[in-house]
Amino acid sequence: MLLTKVEEKALAGEYGEALEIAYRVLVAIGKISDANRLIPIKWAHVSGVSYLTIGEYGLDFLKKISSTHGTKFRVFTTVNPCGMDIENWDLLDTPADYADRQLKIISCYEKLGIANSFTCVPFQSYKVPRRGTSVAWAESSAAVYANSILGLRTNRESAVSALASALTGKTVYSDLHIPHNRIPTKNIRIKMEKKVGRALAGSVDYGILGYFAGKNVPGVIGFQGQKLDLRITEAKALCAAIGTTGSSGMFVPNSKEKLETIDFTGKEYEDVFSDLSQSGEGEAIVFGCPQMTIEELYELSRMLGEKHFSKKCLVFCSSKIYDMARTRGYAQVIEGAGATFVRDACADFTPMISALNVDSVETDSCKGAHYMRKVHGVKISLKNTERIIEENTN
Amino acid sequence: MKTLKIRAIVDGHAKGEIIYSAQPIAFLQGVDTEKGSVSDPKSPIFDQPFAGKILVFPNTVGSSVGAYVIYRLKKNRKAPKAIVNQTTDIITASGCAIAGIPLFDLPENAISELSSAKEVVLDTKKSELIIEK
Repeated sequence: MLLTKVEEKALAGEYGEALEIAYRVLVAIGKISDANRLIPIKWAHVSGVSYLTIGEYGLDFLKKISSTHGTKFRVFTTVNPCGMDIENWDLLDTPADYADRQLKIISCYEKLGIANSFTCVPFQSYKVPRRGTSVAWAESSAAVYANSILGLRTNRESAVSALASALTGKTVYSDLHIPHNRIPTKNIRIKMEKKVGRALAGSVDYGILGYFAGKNVPGVIGFQGQKLDLRITEAKALCAAIGTTGSSGMFVPNSKEKLETIDFTGKEYEDVFSDLSQSGEGEAIVFGCPQMTIEELYELSRMLGEKHFSKKCLVFCSSKIYDMARTRGYAQVIEGAGATFVRDACADFTPMISALNVDSVETDSCKGAHYMRKVHGVKISLKNTERIIEENTN
Repeated sequence: MKTLKIRAIVDGHAKGEIIYSAQPIAFLQGVDTEKGSVSDPKSPIFDQPFAGKILVFPNTVGSSVGAYVIYRLKKNRKAPKAIVNQTTDIITASGCAIAGIPLFDLPENAISELSSAKEVVLDTKKSELIIEK
């Protein structure tokens, strides 16, 4: 890889240890991807915030980076959700020593300079640059959304590589940053309508499609056979599920490419559904994996009206979206129905789900189903939001 | 004496005993950072200390947080002296880069040549791995 004189100096440690480490990471990644240069980015989105995922390992490293004198993020940087509601961390018995370590991680990031919201849907809260702009986003669901829906260009970064991009303002020019790589490598042909008699609709259906596609296509996915409904709820569910099962960083709707094609029929649908949903109902309800958008909070409040939940219901969203939902009156309706908002946290990687002390959870998210079972050992009942409300309110 | 072509991902020299796994390694929840060994009982090198040795395995699987596990190994002084992969991915590349562990992959499909090797020399300048024993 060709480095500029300034980049060479940074790599040699002339601008301090944090930048030296960051350039070392970018150079190593450049070598495995045969890249020839680094390019500037407009936005870094860093994962690795919950203490439940990065542990002591990550905290050690972040302390080292953030304590290097004068080190700041060079570009606009957002970070993923953490493991608890920061302003209300004793909610649902978050253990005090967990909270203490979580706050230490957060203060490292704050020292480096981050936007004030902890979110896995950063495109909801901040102005999205124009199509074709290169960014460096970790958090697979957001990276797939950025490439496929927003027209931004990003590889699926890791916690450490996105951090290196935040510190340098640069990323490696490879893979999905290069226009000719942004075309399908395999197609998924949706054949639900003819065989099952209905088209895919709603977040569960789109999640199942994404879960299947991610597992079967490691590169860019081409969809055929049904015009996809890419409103935010469906698109978010599809992108999150693609990110859960594989390494794909992008999909293309209505693929015209003549390629190896895999059929997605009623059988494939049922296989994924029965793998993810092991229970008819759940003892608690979790909404917001990825975190709820303002559109989804509006829909939820509209469906709830005067109804009241008959079991515990957690709603995950960023603090910024929560504040917006309060201003618009949606949050009051949802809280009035007995649900608890958890702000700035991740539904999957929080001790709160284990602290609920339940054996089963109802959710509309395939990504949430995958991780909550793995991380917290709960059984999942996968249903659309409408049905969850219909069955669990009075 | 047999030599293999190597590609340096994180530069460095190393010489010494190797520990070989024909199976991929998952660093998060698959490696014990206190012992410095693979903690997955299904691994062919389960529970065998790799600290101070040259760790050879085809590729990495699992969470991208694995990079931080590699860093922790180094801090605990339980890290391998160097790592050789068939194909290196972003997790191992970023982990070794922040930990300062020399890392190499193999441009030719040659990892099985190392299955019975005992000692090797990794020469970054010549891009060669020399099997000494």
